[in-house]
Amino acid sequence: MSKYSLLSQSEHAKLRVITERSAAYGDNLMYAMTFPLEFRNIESSYPIFFAKDGESGQFYPLALFGFQRDENLYLKGNTWDASYIPLMVERNPFLIGFQQSPEAENGEKTPVVSIDIESPRVSETKGEALFTESGDPSEYLQKAMQNLQTIHRGHEQNKLFIAALLENDLLEGFNLEVTLNDGSNNRLEGFYTINEEKLAALQPEALGKLHEQGFLQAIYMAVASFSRVTGLIGKKNATLD
Amino acid sequence: MSKKISRLVIVGGGTAGWLSAGVIAAEHAISRNTDQEQNNQFQLTLVESPDIKTIGVGEGTWPSMRTTLKKMGLSETDFIRECSASFKQGTEFAGWTTGENDRYTHPFTAPQDYSETNLAPHWQALKEGRPRFDHAVSPQSVLFADSRAPKQITTPEFACSVNYGYHLDAAKFAEFLRKHCVETLGVKHIKANVIAVNSAENGDIASITTDSDGDVEGDLFIDCSGSRALLLGEHYKVPLRSKKQFLFNDTALAAQVPYANPDDPIASCTLSTAQTAGWIWDIGLPSRRGTGHVYSSAHNSEEKATAELLSYIERTAGVQAAADAEPRKINFDPGHRTEFWHKNCVAVGMSAGFIEPLEASALILVELSSTMIAEQLPANREMMDIVAKRFNDKFLYRWDRIIDFLKLHYILNRRQDTYWRDHLDPSTIPDSLQELITLWKYQGPWHRDTNHIDEMFPSASFQYVLYGMNFETQPSTTARRSDRIGREAAADLFQKNAKQRQQLYAAMPTNRELINKINTYGLQKI
Repeated sequence: MSKYSLLSQSEHAKLRVITERSAAYGDNLMYAMTFPLEFRNIESSYPIFFAKDGESGQFYPLALFGFQRDENLYLKGNTWDASYIPLMVERNPFLIGFQQSPEAENGEKTPVVSIDIESPRVSETKGEALFTESGDPSEYLQKAMQNLQTIHRGHEQNKLFIAALLENDLLEGFNLEVTLNDGSNNRLEGFYTINEEKLAALQPEALGKLHEQGFLQAIYMAVASFSRVTGLIGKKNATLD
Repeated sequence: MSKKISRLVIVGGGTAGWLSAGVIAAEHAISRNTDQEQNNQFQLTLVESPDIKTIGVGEGTWPSMRTTLKKMGLSETDFIRECSASFKQGTEFAGWTTGENDRYTHPFTAPQDYSETNLAPHWQALKEGRPRFDHAVSPQSVLFADSRAPKQITTPEFACSVNYGYHLDAAKFAEFLRKHCVETLGVKHIKANVIAVNSAENGDIASITTDSDGDVEGDLFIDCSGSRALLLGEHYKVPLRSKKQFLFNDTALAAQVPYANPDDPIASCTLSTAQTAGWIWDIGLPSRRGTGHVYSSAHNSEEKATAELLSYIERTAGVQAAADAEPRKINFDPGHRTEFWHKNCVAVGMSAGFIEPLEASALILVELSSTMIAEQLPANREMMDIVAKRFNDKFLYRWDRIIDFLKLHYILNRRQDTYWRDHLDPSTIPDSLQELITLWKYQGPWHRDTNHIDEMFPSASFQYVLYGMNFETQPSTTARRSDRIGREAAADLFQKNAKQRQQLYAAMPTNRELINKINTYGLQKI
């Protein structure tokens, strides 16, 4: 279980984070949330689909890593076999939270960094230091905080992106039946993808608006990413040998 | 050449008027062109009195309402938010059999594998300690005790994990429909009183005269004016055929009941609790409960009936709620018109008839009537008499089936009160029901022996009432192939059902949780 604690130099000065990729550190994920701002990097390695959040029913984009729960076909031992690791994977064990600050105007909340102190990545002996000898954030921590800021922008972007997709009726549910080399079947269900027919039928006005919002490119990248499914099937077949 | 039917006039608002308007307008593209020269365009006008208050008791729907709303192009999210709606998964009957803590439910899902296997005889064959019929054959009732919902926040609009209809605030619902009809579906709304009905040479209604908007001409008039039945009853004098000899209840005392806390559970079913000479309905909306005591004035006084209702409210909501309750009395004559469609006038809603809301039949009849009018709208006046006859035949048949099914709830009781004993008198039982109950002693109801493909009440509904009230169908006297096959299948199906009950219970949120999420996030369309 996770236990997020506000990151503070006084409490966490000695902590380190193991950055190895491994199932032991929770990398055996079937998918992870992603954002249009990283689609360009995602698309080169992973299929981009959409799913509903279990708590709210709201859609979000995701990068797919496998065909069943806890299956990450990119993870081989201690190696993640892809040129780009999605932000939502990279950011572990950190989280961006929001705090009511007494100085802030209009009751604005300030973003703060939290760390899951019960994560297996958190150690006092191994991995990257969070703070330098003099107590400043290490380069590693600075990079991690930058990632969190990007993720925060990504969340905001997702809201608008999903709204635009729904407004133009561009999402559709789909099921994927995959037959593997040994004749067994894998079925991917409950995911959504871009409806290419509806996309092709969009009127100039709608297309123009999507382009202005910066979403048109993201949509086509998601469409293009479907071809990554072939690679994923290949990785699955490789596990059967 | 026979006159083309293109101008429809609905007299009366409320849920009957606006639901009819919405169903018909959604089916027929309405011309927004207000140029009166355009004779070929379809026009739908609803004339509603600004003064007359609508009845406001029609608060439960069947699952068909989901399709009806969807066809109208409405959003389920908007509907739930604006009509104080919650989910109705069936009806729970308390005290109808012996009056001593007996309880059964009629859920909206059929028994397991109903199209292939009849589980009822195999359930009967299970003896001591067998689960209740509705628990044994269907997963749905597992959700009722803890007020769980029929779907999740990730389920798309109008879709379900288990079948459901709605509980709703009828006044808000009428307003919700009115807005959609006028703003999106092209229905014309006139707020005026009807002061005269003007005849054509052939006896048809040519127009109605209003007090503030002049005459409104029409080719087909739909009477949604409630029990007053301004057109069908007052103008055409089509009489009401009373059914009081079968179903004695003729009075209702309705009261709203608050929740003690804003997050009190919202019930999954309509609760129907038997009283000394009638029964009390209890409908849970998110913001309040609606209760009502339906009783027979021949068997009970208003004073005693009021006391029973207040006692029920006190038991279920506390002393303060009972003290604050303001029961409103509604008299009704249970029964229906001898015909519904006369010349160029058809009655929908209370103008067509009214019966106690034991199985929420009022709104389904409005849906069915308006759908038939929409789908079989006569192209011209010559055709209308044929469609009218078909309509009358179908709805007279349906009313007979409603009377049979409602009476069924009463004829298996073992209570001692006079009212309940009177219900067992054969002279108060329609012949059609008498035949059925005799047949069912030896051959239980199943889908293969229903007469019409579009029966209002599927045979499964009869099973839930019969076996919920411990009716016994004798096992067959000969060894049958179908019994043997059924026995093998039944054991598996009972097990499958038990497993599904567990899974369903674990997966479903409470009604309150789901409604709160819908208010916050809305339901997705896909």
